[in-house]
Amino acid sequence: MRMRFSQLLISFAITVALLIGLEIVTSTMLPAFGWKEYRLTFNVLIVLFLAIRLESPAVPWMILGLQVVHSVFSIEGWALGTLAGLIVMSSANYLKELLHLTTAIMTMLTVQLFQFIWFLTVTVIICLKISDFDKFPLILWSFIPGSVFLSLIAPVLFWILEQIWRVPKDVGPRGVEI
Amino acid sequence: MKLIQESSKTKIVSNIVVAIVSFYGISQKQFDLGQPTLFNKVVTEVLAPVQEGLASSKKSFSSLWENYLSIVDTSKRNQILTKQISRLENDLTSMEEIRRENSRLKKLLNYSEELSHQKVLAQVVGWDSANEFKVIRLNKGSRHGIKTMAPVITDHGLVGYVYKTTDNYSDVLTILDQNNRVDVLVERTRTHGIVEGVFNFKCTLKYITKNEPVEVGDKLMTAGVGGIYPKGIKVGMVTDINKENFGMTQTIDVVPSVDFDKLEEVIVLIPTEGTVAEAAVPTADRQAGDRLSEETKK
Repeated sequence: MRMRFSQLLISFAITVALLIGLEIVTSTMLPAFGWKEYRLTFNVLIVLFLAIRLESPAVPWMILGLQVVHSVFSIEGWALGTLAGLIVMSSANYLKELLHLTTAIMTMLTVQLFQFIWFLTVTVIICLKISDFDKFPLILWSFIPGSVFLSLIAPVLFWILEQIWRVPKDVGPRGVEI
Repeated sequence: MKLIQESSKTKIVSNIVVAIVSFYGISQKQFDLGQPTLFNKVVTEVLAPVQEGLASSKKSFSSLWENYLSIVDTSKRNQILTKQISRLENDLTSMEEIRRENSRLKKLLNYSEELSHQKVLAQVVGWDSANEFKVIRLNKGSRHGIKTMAPVITDHGLVGYVYKTTDNYSDVLTILDQNNRVDVLVERTRTHGIVEGVFNFKCTLKYITKNEPVEVGDKLMTAGVGGIYPKGIKVGMVTDINKENFGMTQTIDVVPSVDFDKLEEVIVLIPTEGTVAEAAVPTADRQAGDRLSEETKK
């Protein structure tokens, strides 16, 4: 299925608004209720959706845009997540024919796999930046609890994003072409 | 066929350009001290009030939830009575909360009175949304006199320093973050070391040689070196020591003296003219220091 460019802009604007709402939940509401140890990185989930479900040269730019918005809420900045997003997108392109997000379980497993690739990339870059690979397992492990929770809610969020991006049920593994 | 080839070419070019841009971004410093970008400033100023509102409505949310639960399955009269009791209890809770807040603020101000800096009281309104960084957002900014690199404390000890300010909000890099390294002194032995954030709300004390007699329970305070933190602010306590078999240094775990789980209000210390690092020593330490320097002079 092909999508028009004007529709892409509208869908992207709604996705940014959704990301801002979720970032506020992560940075303010959850810590206010005592959830401080692990953050739910919703930006990862939204970028994963774009990387897996959309087929367009605009996707890298959209990932960059989403990461710039995320950088307002995080010292992490935009660059690290953008690179991780591109790596995940490239891996998803290779595996796309094998991915069938038809059931909730498949969506959860796929999201967990790609989150692992994302966090592996981020951990390697952080360790390179702090020149300390002793912390590698500790940093990687710190992502796991949050990522499992994100995988559990991925079917719901992906369903919402499918409505925003108007992805039909029978679109197939390649997703929407723009 | 030609169209598909063109599309995949555009895709490859897009990927390469964005990858180069992000590699450039990564090669820059982890975070920039100083003024944020205009985009960052505008979005922060627009969205931070929402964060502030949500953070302060926490009490109302919890009380609504508790009240809802308490009136389920009761008779009409009981509902009215329960409502009345619940309202009174709410008032009492609010008063109790105000009393606790008062006592916290008093303690905070008493503690900071010992520091010869200008003080700005601020509330925590948000945390960093990424898991691997430990940053908090405060509801005061450059309009209230807050500057970058200003130390942030509570009555329990050191929180971190301000790394970014907008007009009304500022972001603080806490000592839990691995990018924040604090020069510390072991109170008992006067040994110098560096406290660095690790993960899961813990810190580590680095560069302490094996022959230094550091013990579990030793307290750490800022050394006043480096120009950010005043000397003598509590940082944490040694909880575990591991003298590795190889290497010259020991691995020391530290628990911060500030309970970051319960962090609500903080004080930002603004250095005034002539108050650089060592000027802001708590009275006891200052008196001890003065005595020591007098004895040294004699």
